Amino acid sequence: MAARRKAPRARTKAAREFVSEVEEILERLRSDLADLADERARGALDPERTNRLFRSAHTLKGLSGMFGLDEVTQLAHHLEDILDGLRLGRLGPDAPALDLLDESVEWIASLLTQLGEAGALDAPPQGLQQLIDRIREKLEASPRPATSTSLAGLEESVLRALTEYEEHRLHENLRLGRCLLLVEQSFPMLAFEEGLAELTRAVRDAGEVISTLPAPGGSPEAEIRFSLLAASELDDPAARVRLEVPQAEVRVLREAAGGTPAAGASSAERSATPPPPSPAAPAELESLKSISDTVRVDIRKLDEVMNLVGELVIQRGALGALATRLRADPATARAGAELAGLHKHIDRKLQDLQAGVLEARMVPMRQVFEKLSRVVRRLRRDSGKEVKLEIRGGDTELDKLLVEELVDPLMHVVRNAFDHAIETPDERSAAGKPREGCIRLEAFQRGHHVVVRVSDDGRGIDTDAILARAIADGSVGTDAHLSRKEVLDLVFQPGLSTSAEVSATSGRGVGMDIVRENAAALGGSVGIESEPGAGTSISLTLPITLAIIQALAVRVGSQRFAVPLTSVLETLQISPAEIQHSQGRELLRLRGEPLWLRRVHAEFELPPPAPDANLAVVVVALGDARVGLLVDQLEEQQDAVIKPIQGPIGSVRGIAGATDLGARGTVLVMDVAALAEDTLRRREVA
Amino acid sequence: MSDATAGGTGTQSWDALARAAGTKPAPRAELRRELLLLGIGDDLYALPVERVREIVRSRDLTPLPRVPAAVRGVISLRGEVLQVIDLRRRLGLPEGSGLAPRRQRIVVLHTAEAQLAGLWVDRVSQVMRVLESQMISPNTGQGELVEALCPLDERFVSLLDVDRLLDLDQE
Amino acid sequence: MHDVLIVEDSSTMRSLVVSSLEELGGDLKMTEAPSGFEALRLLPRRRFHLVVTDINMPDINGLELVSFIKGNPAYRDIPLLVISTEGSERDRTKALELGADAYLVKPFDPEALRIIARDLLDRAPRE
Repeated sequence: MAARRKAPRARTKAAREFVSEVEEILERLRSDLADLADERARGALDPERTNRLFRSAHTLKGLSGMFGLDEVTQLAHHLEDILDGLRLGRLGPDAPALDLLDESVEWIASLLTQLGEAGALDAPPQGLQQLIDRIREKLEASPRPATSTSLAGLEESVLRALTEYEEHRLHENLRLGRCLLLVEQSFPMLAFEEGLAELTRAVRDAGEVISTLPAPGGSPEAEIRFSLLAASELDDPAARVRLEVPQAEVRVLREAAGGTPAAGASSAERSATPPPPSPAAPAELESLKSISDTVRVDIRKLDEVMNLVGELVIQRGALGALATRLRADPATARAGAELAGLHKHIDRKLQDLQAGVLEARMVPMRQVFEKLSRVVRRLRRDSGKEVKLEIRGGDTELDKLLVEELVDPLMHVVRNAFDHAIETPDERSAAGKPREGCIRLEAFQRGHHVVVRVSDDGRGIDTDAILARAIADGSVGTDAHLSRKEVLDLVFQPGLSTSAEVSATSGRGVGMDIVRENAAALGGSVGIESEPGAGTSISLTLPITLAIIQALAVRVGSQRFAVPLTSVLETLQISPAEIQHSQGRELLRLRGEPLWLRRVHAEFELPPPAPDANLAVVVVALGDARVGLLVDQLEEQQDAVIKPIQGPIGSVRGIAGATDLGARGTVLVMDVAALAEDTLRRREVA
Repeated sequence: MSDATAGGTGTQSWDALARAAGTKPAPRAELRRELLLLGIGDDLYALPVERVREIVRSRDLTPLPRVPAAVRGVISLRGEVLQVIDLRRRLGLPEGSGLAPRRQRIVVLHTAEAQLAGLWVDRVSQVMRVLESQMISPNTGQGELVEALCPLDERFVSLLDVDRLLDLDQE
Repeated sequence: MHDVLIVEDSSTMRSLVVSSLEELGGDLKMTEAPSGFEALRLLPRRRFHLVVTDINMPDINGLELVSFIKGNPAYRDIPLLVISTEGSERDRTKALELGADAYLVKPFDPEALRIIARDLLDRAPRE
């Protein structure tokens, strides 16, 4: 058994994935085991959990086998055996069994760590053999219960593709006298996910789904048919499912048998020790309470409602405009006034509706922070740097979709901080800092925005190096005079991303430019602050309301664009004579300060306005700097819903998305941060 | 055979191979494809029906800056915004004249990344069924954008490879 | 060009299968599906010349996938290789009964995977 095996080195991609997948599996095992211990006290085991535990051990066994880690494989095999016994009802979840499970998991974790550090195990670790012997004893002591239920009368087609575990679930449910159902429905082959999810949900509400069997539908290339085999304790589960999903075909394969499960049968459903009497009751009450307090809603249903609300909001704008027009005309003034009153009323209700739906979608940032914590732990382990993670504001809430979109950019920022910002413990001591570096994740609300900030107390950004690199690759002229802020902003340039080497822990090559694009697509912005030697902080500012924004419509050439109002500091009307020049760039003097200008028509290759025509300036902020975007005309403010642009072209620089502005057609939304950034970097007028 | 490794599964996999080799070769089922026919000028092209989500009347497009000429712009379809590619330009064909704008359509496709994209065409014709065995591999012509040639009456319909069509990086 | 669909819920196993098959060279394109559902989504969207699937997956397991593929005139010609675990004799037998063309047992020798895959690909209908 004690053959020498080398642990996988992090050279190959698969080896790296092994390490990260194994860490996830171990966490899942620990978490499920903890829940299992709780469940045991309440007396009933969740079959999904015991199955999940089994599958975790099973996967672990398979993986470590593929990498030749014999000791881990063997232990995982035994762990799997106990869990198999548990899920098939051969073993009861008594204290000794749970102890064996806990110990096995910790042993596996420790073996993997040892293998990772030393590269090999010199000798069989102390105590491993004893653990294995104890497990064997436990398994041998547990009898295999006879299968007393018969599957006679059930069609072959239903049973053909059941795995051993699914067969067990089937027998178990029959033994408990539950009703057996077959629920079938066909869907289009190209779009079955939603329908199937709905069907599965409806069946799960009525009982346990034992298996899901796909089969070709009526037209084999275009349709797919799913047959769900389910068991239920309800009185009339078939009726219930039919009610929720009228298009499904529901057949009762076996009627419920009386209802009371056979007394005295040993099964994993009943704990080996009788459940303590009084604690069980409050636990039950508690679970009932939690059912009544919350309703599980599919986020897609919320999205649909959000979309509808969004469209209503846009139409409301049109209604208001109509009311104004009617009032202006004496012939219709009275009707107009009435309409205006109704409009105001609808407006108020709509705002409440908006607020209500938005609230339903809000989730705390904690979810994201937890994911990031795991990333940091992994980075810490792989790199040997000592870094602690501080988290503040986990309760700050954001729209669920926003939160999901944030994970990738934040992960990238955190990795960057880890790889480049935090020094090694020795470097830090030499600099008079504590050996342990600190990365802080914060989220807080500021007015209508939420700020998510990643800061570190590392070496800060080397502005000289960044400037030198920008000059070297030509994006900045050699005689350029950039302020510190402007140099920091260069970090967001594509291609200037900070790492040339691909180490096992750096990001997937997503640069800070994409982080900025992501933020812009969400209607927000990114800012960066840094002090050499002291640290860096990157802040994402996002509007709380993702779905509906206030936008300023502007005209450039013959085309209209939308500018998110949250990005706009102020607007001005100017005559061309007011534009000054310096080193080939255009600027304006605004309250004594220079305002660098950018002609949007040049940016988007649109026809220029007449040379003597007045222009409008949209002043936007980029960190502390200000930039003026020159457009032909300002139009009205409107509510708008920013949609991503789908299609083969990934993204267009300067465009954050598109929006439906009511009846006026699709209008592109400007990514003002990108435009401003380009302005600050540009050396000559286009 | 191969050296036994951690699992020593050599023998078992040979068994399976032997068993599999022993069974008779599966008869090639005659696969029928359903193709949507569309026209550019006088030529007929086809798209596999399963990639087509819907067909809409051509409408005003919002132009996108800084994109290849083949991308005409974007449209909004029941709340989703998608890019529209001009098939004629994409195929590198000369600009047409005397077109009947009333017949122009936008064919909405599913992209490989589960997004939507539109294809601007001169006209859309019917759905045609063709047997796999009737399809002919093109040797020259438009090169990779045409996946196969399908006979129809006296002529050929060019079946387009949707993924390659939508892969604009090759410009 | 041959398009291979790999259905497996463990990301590590997927990487291992992909990297093993990549050594076959030729014009192989790998598509990964982390679940039976994903495989069902991908099947109508592309023409595959080989499907490699694990048996033990949550929701739609490998047996159900084999049953669907081999029971569907549109896909039954696609060679299907099933990967099972040591000790699951019954599942393996069922997979073959349902029409799987070959099986491999985990842990397997990457060379065995290549040999079987090469053989199955050579037998695939013309593309």
